[in-house]
Amino acid sequence: MSETLPGFRLTQPESVDQAVAAMRAEPDSRFLAGGTDLIVNMRRGLAEPKNLIDLNGIAELRSITQDVDGLHIGAAQTLREIGEDEDIRHRYCAVAQACDVIAGPGHRNVATVGGNLCLDTRCLYYNQSHWWRKSNNFCLKYKGDICHVAPVGKRCRAPFCGDLAPVLMVHGAEIELAGPDGRRRIALADLYEEDGADHLRLAPQEFIVSVHVPPVDAASVRSGYAKVRVRGAIDFPLAGTAVLCNKHDNGSMVFVVALTGTNSRPFLLGGVDPVAPGQNLDEAFDQLEKLVQKQVSPQRTTTTAAHYRRLAVAALTRRLARELAADLADG
Amino acid sequence: MPETTKRIISLTINGTRHEDAISDNLLLVDYLREDKRLTGTKQGCDGGECGACTVLVDGQSRISCITLAASCHGCDIHTIEGQAQNGRLSAVQRAFHEHLGTQCGFCTPGMIMAAEGLLRRSANPDDDEIRAALGGNLCRCTGYVKIIKSVRAAAEALQ
Amino acid sequence: MTSLLKHTVAGKPIPLIDGPEKVTGKARYTADLDVCDSLAGRILRSPVSHGEIIRIDVSKAAELEGVCAIITGADCPHTYGVIPIAMNEYPLARDKVRYRGEPVAAVAAVDARTAERALELIQLEIRELPAYYTAADARAPDAVPLHDEKPDNLEREVHNEFGDIAGSFASADRIFSARFDCAEVNHAQMEPHAVLAEYDAERDRLTLQSVSQVPFYVHLMLARCLEMDTSRIRVIKPFVGGGFGARTETLNFELIAGLLARAARGTVMMRLTREETIITHRGRPETQVDLKIGFTRDGRMTAVECEVVQRGGAYAGYGLVTILYAGALLHGLYDIPAVKYDGYRVYANLPPCGAMRGHGTVDVRHAFECLLDRAARELDLDPFALRRANLLDAPSRTLNDLMINSYGLSECLARVEAASGWHERKAAMPPGRGLGMACSHYVSGAAKPVHWTGEPHAVVNLKLDFDGSITVLTGAADIGQGSSTMVTVAAADILGVDVARIRVVANDSAITPKDNGSYSSRVTFMVGNATIEAAKRLREILIDAAATKLDARPEDIECTAETFSVRGGEQSMMSFAEIATAALADSGTITVKGTFTCPPEAQGGKHRGGAVGSTMGFSYAAQVVEVAVDPDTGVVSVEKVWAALDCGFAINPLAVEGQIEGSVWMGMGQALCEETRYANGLPVHAGLLDYRMPTIVESPEIEVHIVESNDPLGPFGAKEAGEGALSGFPPALANAVAQATGLDIDDLPLTPDRITEARIAERRKRRQATNRKASE
Repeated sequence: MSETLPGFRLTQPESVDQAVAAMRAEPDSRFLAGGTDLIVNMRRGLAEPKNLIDLNGIAELRSITQDVDGLHIGAAQTLREIGEDEDIRHRYCAVAQACDVIAGPGHRNVATVGGNLCLDTRCLYYNQSHWWRKSNNFCLKYKGDICHVAPVGKRCRAPFCGDLAPVLMVHGAEIELAGPDGRRRIALADLYEEDGADHLRLAPQEFIVSVHVPPVDAASVRSGYAKVRVRGAIDFPLAGTAVLCNKHDNGSMVFVVALTGTNSRPFLLGGVDPVAPGQNLDEAFDQLEKLVQKQVSPQRTTTTAAHYRRLAVAALTRRLARELAADLADG
Repeated sequence: MPETTKRIISLTINGTRHEDAISDNLLLVDYLREDKRLTGTKQGCDGGECGACTVLVDGQSRISCITLAASCHGCDIHTIEGQAQNGRLSAVQRAFHEHLGTQCGFCTPGMIMAAEGLLRRSANPDDDEIRAALGGNLCRCTGYVKIIKSVRAAAEALQ
Repeated sequence: MTSLLKHTVAGKPIPLIDGPEKVTGKARYTADLDVCDSLAGRILRSPVSHGEIIRIDVSKAAELEGVCAIITGADCPHTYGVIPIAMNEYPLARDKVRYRGEPVAAVAAVDARTAERALELIQLEIRELPAYYTAADARAPDAVPLHDEKPDNLEREVHNEFGDIAGSFASADRIFSARFDCAEVNHAQMEPHAVLAEYDAERDRLTLQSVSQVPFYVHLMLARCLEMDTSRIRVIKPFVGGGFGARTETLNFELIAGLLARAARGTVMMRLTREETIITHRGRPETQVDLKIGFTRDGRMTAVECEVVQRGGAYAGYGLVTILYAGALLHGLYDIPAVKYDGYRVYANLPPCGAMRGHGTVDVRHAFECLLDRAARELDLDPFALRRANLLDAPSRTLNDLMINSYGLSECLARVEAASGWHERKAAMPPGRGLGMACSHYVSGAAKPVHWTGEPHAVVNLKLDFDGSITVLTGAADIGQGSSTMVTVAAADILGVDVARIRVVANDSAITPKDNGSYSSRVTFMVGNATIEAAKRLREILIDAAATKLDARPEDIECTAETFSVRGGEQSMMSFAEIATAALADSGTITVKGTFTCPPEAQGGKHRGGAVGSTMGFSYAAQVVEVAVDPDTGVVSVEKVWAALDCGFAINPLAVEGQIEGSVWMGMGQALCEETRYANGLPVHAGLLDYRMPTIVESPEIEVHIVESNDPLGPFGAKEAGEGALSGFPPALANAVAQATGLDIDDLPLTPDRITEARIAERRKRRQATNRKASE
């Protein structure tokens, strides 16, 4: 019988507490959600956990609900379930759009929101076979001591390439975490760190239980997601941009932008001025485009030129903002 | 080497109940191809990149080369071998055969299973839906033209 | 000739005869073969690009429990290759490694994991040498040679000149030139490489099953490298999941598996990963084309000058053929009074290149058709009109002595021009959209095979036996293109029998006649003709038997729909079964043979390398591509393609359509997004995420038009259909992108970042021009 994967034990807890206990019992464990990232990496020798804790059997992690506090998504909800949810498609358009453009349908049927938020960072020097990486003396991110992308630096520059983080961030999402010290809730943006080798600010043994998104007034808010990629499916984002446009009663407009695929963390664009009533929108779009160009820092981590990724994601941000503003004006 | 435990899984494959002792680290594709000798499911990549190993798990297309067999306990699995009924091709199989949706045939089992999954939930898909549903399945021979035609023809035949 | 026959089967679309196996999962590919007792083979690959092997110590690995055999370069002192004069590769490197990933040792063990652990225990000491990843670096004066016998790292130079170059350029009104850079691409057939080798130690025999397009060549190289008599080797080809040229020469893993099985005295199954499959490579080389074309004012070409540099990788492979093809197929599409060609095939420390669909022609055709469009623009001519000003006549011979018997290009042009609404729509394209067109051609088999023995180019056996079934025995390798269906149709049509009466047995050297294999689009023309000849022989025998039974003259016997009758005599009819029984009564099992040999006049000119490019007939294609270019991301969307191909006669129109669609689409992959990338010789693209072949989502509708020029020598008039349209796509796309963006981009593929870079460069240029003007 083939052993494509290294050996491990699979634990299948039925509650959050059981999952926490399982992790405490076997600290050299990894949490397994859809497996579309972790199993692929394990096949390439990029992770060799002794134990996998499968979160899919935990009922609490598998629900989508809405109430006055907004939208609550269990961490093990699949991308397909989220993308097909009518209410999400209507109110949290960017979330549904992002779900639709992740990988392929077979991935989306199992990949989860929690998994997508905790996606490993990616780099052309990292996502390779053991033979490949060994021939290249490994790298800073894993088993080596040099970054082949920026050899003088001491930090891994691998970008985070999840599509869901930016769309949830522009919607102001928070996540609930569970771990040995109990539960805590943090802003999604605070989950991430600008370090490709250690980009998640999770305490040891913590995992995401749920995602909480504030309510949206469908009449005054529009959101969207655009992804820079070469092919129409399968590809990770070379860069991605989520934009939320909120039109206030006084006619002013606020754009919230978050970016992915360019840095080791997804991040909210800083320094965006609100658009006063009557102000020329084109100036606002110009500002957005310039801010994106300035704040993203794509590196030579993909075969596609870094400079291009910067320009394209900035241009897409501008386009998306314009479309959303126009849609709000119409609707 | 970490210890790999064994477990008993019971599941349905193409309508037949199976109970097997498997290792926790066994992939579904290896279980199907080597343990069950269902070699119709193909592997074209080193993990999750080509869709050739697509099977249906509880009616949904799944990439069996990145799916743990252990996670399929209690599931209803369909592979290419279970599509023909009473020795006759299924509508999707017949359409792929008659409209040349298959050339070298290597992507075909995965492509047919993805199409089957689509037609089970959407009886009359348009071309964009077909494209979206097969977006994770690569083919190197056909340029996809006759694959789209095959899925359309299968949908018509099933109406 | 044969085209005058009334066809009963040929010319009508039929599904593949092996389609049911493929759609049910019953088709067994190499990796699926039942191998309960087989060992797992794994290969240790060089971690460095270029170096001298100082030491390989396998002792620790040999001690590992479960390891059955370990081999290194010391176990095989013989080179292999595909061109008899250019075999310079060892199954496992000896003395030197020349690219990262080159096999240096191999292990057979009880399972793959044990074999992999053994690989980790092999100690490899290599003294590194400077490595070269570009043709320019490898050609630098002080570069260390990869191969001692080629001190300048030039595998092959080609220089030829036909017509009066200087005079013809002098007579041109306008001369256009440009340099084009085309990235290396890989076949990326869906099936990763795999091989099963069974060594019978008792009898000293080897049976090898592999993914090959050329089982015959594999057979020869196994004999050479294992020092075994060919009679002790049997090569079988199971179902093969695509080839596109990746498997048109013997590959290292096939020989390694044979060597390992013998060393282990057992059976070895080797399944390569996708990464290893891509490293095995043999793809289309990175190519630089410098092209200069002279024109008269009305668009007639007067002369062409072309220099091609191919970065061939570390070993010879098909290299010299590729560099010869690149020059030879400057001819044969248009009427050009003078052509000068200089080709350079360069070694570099990268996986070896080889043959890939459209072998040798694609990048040169890209350059050529792009330059034609630029010229048309400058000369204020319509791109169709410019091509029409340069058409050939058939029959004729080209300047480099290639034979042209049929030429449907003119009709191809007319068909796509009308279907695409070219004239109305070209002028009305909105900003960001464009229509482009291009022409292309390809050989229907090399008229002189690489391995020249004097034998016929193809042999087919037919067997009729007591059960009334007809078995076609052929060595033609069906790799998905439908060759087994083609021979079925050809035989059924000649014999007037139902397709269901015919079975095909293909590719078992113990059973089927030798065939050179599936490459250079040779099978339909050569094996098709051999099948027709064999079927005619069998028909004669049956007609003789029918004549005796029906008491008539053989020339009055007709056989259609499995019924023999006397022409004009309605009453006397006999079934196929009755006549078969009668025929068998005389002789027992009937076997007949058909052969096909390319006549000397098809085998090219007398000049050096003149055999390359020679063929029985060229396919011709024209296509129109419509694109939209995203102004923000530079992503090119192909909206629609109209492609017409002259395949002489479509023996199976369904399969011809499939071949045209597939080849156009593969051209699209090369044009839009496919390319190999190396990081110091390590393949960054060695998976299907980073080697980006198009998905179904962005793949366009392709409207196919089949043009039938009826080749006088083709089987039923047929020529090739699977390669000719490929090389027209990239230039048609680039020409469409030029209209959509106003940019002439000289590189392939036209990825979004290249388009964006070109836009920026153009803006910069314009700004500088404005500034200059302002300061003047």
